[in-house]
Amino acid sequence: MNAFEVRNLRVSYDDFEIISGIDLDIPAKTCFAIMGPSGCGKSTLLRTFNRLIEINENARVSGIIKLFGKNIFEIETSELRRRVGMVFQIPNPFPHLSVYENVAVGPKFNKMVKNKKELDKIVEWALKKAVLWDEVKDRLRERASNLSGGQMQRLCIARALALKPEVLLMDEPTANLDPISASKIEELIHELKKEYTMVIVTHSPSQASRIADYVAFLYLGKIVEIGRVEDVFENPKHELTEKYLTGRIG
Amino acid sequence: MDKFKISLFPNISLIFGIFALMLIVFFLNSLPSIQKFGIELYTTNVWKAYEYEHEERYGLLAAIYGSVYTSVIALLISIPLSIGFAIFVVDFAPKKIKEPLIVITDVMAGLPTILYGIWGLFVLAPFLRDYIMIPLYKTFSYIPLFSYPPTGYCYFTAGVLLAIMVTPFATAIVRESYRMVPRIYKEGAFALGLTKYETTKILLKYIKPAIVAGTLLAFGRAIGETVAVSLVVGNTFNVHPSLFAPGYTISSLIANQFGNAFIYDLMPSTLFAAGLSLFLIGLSVNLLGLQYLKRWRYA
Ligand SMILES: Nc1ncnc2c1ncn2[C@@H]1O[C@H](COP(=O)(O)OP(=O)(O)OP(=O)(O)O)[C@@H](O)[C@H]1O
Ligand SMILES: [Mg+2]
Repeated sequence: MNAFEVRNLRVSYDDFEIISGIDLDIPAKTCFAIMGPSGCGKSTLLRTFNRLIEINENARVSGIIKLFGKNIFEIETSELRRRVGMVFQIPNPFPHLSVYENVAVGPKFNKMVKNKKELDKIVEWALKKAVLWDEVKDRLRERASNLSGGQMQRLCIARALALKPEVLLMDEPTANLDPISASKIEELIHELKKEYTMVIVTHSPSQASRIADYVAFLYLGKIVEIGRVEDVFENPKHELTEKYLTGRIG
Repeated sequence: MDKFKISLFPNISLIFGIFALMLIVFFLNSLPSIQKFGIELYTTNVWKAYEYEHEERYGLLAAIYGSVYTSVIALLISIPLSIGFAIFVVDFAPKKIKEPLIVITDVMAGLPTILYGIWGLFVLAPFLRDYIMIPLYKTFSYIPLFSYPPTGYCYFTAGVLLAIMVTPFATAIVRESYRMVPRIYKEGAFALGLTKYETTKILLKYIKPAIVAGTLLAFGRAIGETVAVSLVVGNTFNVHPSLFAPGYTISSLIANQFGNAFIYDLMPSTLFAAGLSLFLIGLSVNLLGLQYLKRWRYA
């Protein structure tokens, strides 16, 4: 089954087309990497999946995107975003809220819990899922801004997981982290893809090869190549892909 | 200590010096009155200006009460107004009217206060009296807050006028910091399925220090405002719970009475004591605000 089916997707800012007719299928409960050089439209593409793109008034989207068979443009944005979580390039937990509140914010505002006890349970569950619980269980009341970069990013993952999403979108989640924190996140992605559909943007082929099952190579708003990671990496069909994988463009 | 810190020292000591000097001047000049009337100078409402010293008696309660009352009214109106206006300008106003709106508020902030005073006297006071106070008085006069027969010149009009005067300052502070909230937090909130309203609520929490700062600034300006208030507050020695009762404020008292104060023995000193109380109110409100910000920052 496919989590996402995308047909003839076009996105432009003002009159400038960034995504020029993309088709792709993202199978459920796999890790799908979107790879490509800077500025090729990876973040733009990812942001159409939860319609976050719509907060830019100058963005225009056309084409079809289906989430488990249902047109996402017919789903209310708040429901869609609850089902399709997102983690950003810069760890962005709300710095003025506590560790606990950061995770609790989604379930609370989306009225997923009836009382404090249920909320506590979700928060603990999400923090454990994000492999952060042991590090923060005595610091739940502390400001999120006191955490390290890697901890903040895992907190953002916990925050997204607390909504019990079906899909998790990640936009270069390790780009701003040290290598050790980055490898922790990669391990976590490995765990999470057993239960969630993971869509990950990365500009690093080696990261894509480590974590992804499927990969799409995006270049100037078009998909140059798409397929299983082994196939794309071992014998790329397109010259551009080969150049990118060997570091000759990027 | 590094050179930069040392080079700042003269500036810092100058500012502190002026501050301390002002406080001392006010305190020394207040002393005769404080010694004569003791604590009653601040806790009673009397104003007996006689040329013989032994018959003179002053108690500043009406002015202090009026200052606090009108400033609180002003803040209660101005805080929500300035936050709402800031959000409107940043998030909702179409690009074309955004800049003009900002310019208008900045111009409003810079207008001489006498202009507000005249407008308050001839336009705002009669308007509030006819369309708000009289209807409220007619239906709710059994509630103490609305119990005074309205003339239009009262705490309420002064408070509303002050609110109009301080909102441009408060909203500028809130607006600028709201504009500076990093995009990533807004996106983070939206990505959690939060609505525009819920997102705004979270972001407002993020800029709480700026809201507190804006409130402090607004309070400082409201309680210190003189000319405009003295034109609409009624200038009556009164300690009354009703919004519609005329009253006095510390600064309007000083402005109104200083001209003839020197005929009397203790009146100049009393007015200095009034100034001192303004000083202390301002200082304590600011310290309270700072304390709050400190707690917020290290919570
Ligand atoms: N809000 C916007 N308005 C106008 N142009 C935009 C906007 N956001 C992005 N762009 C442009 O769209 C193009 C694609 O941007 P996008 O952020 O999707 O690239 P990316 O592949 O994620 O790059 P990177 O690897 O650097 O993050 C860029 O040329 C960028 O300048
Ligand atoms: Mg990007």
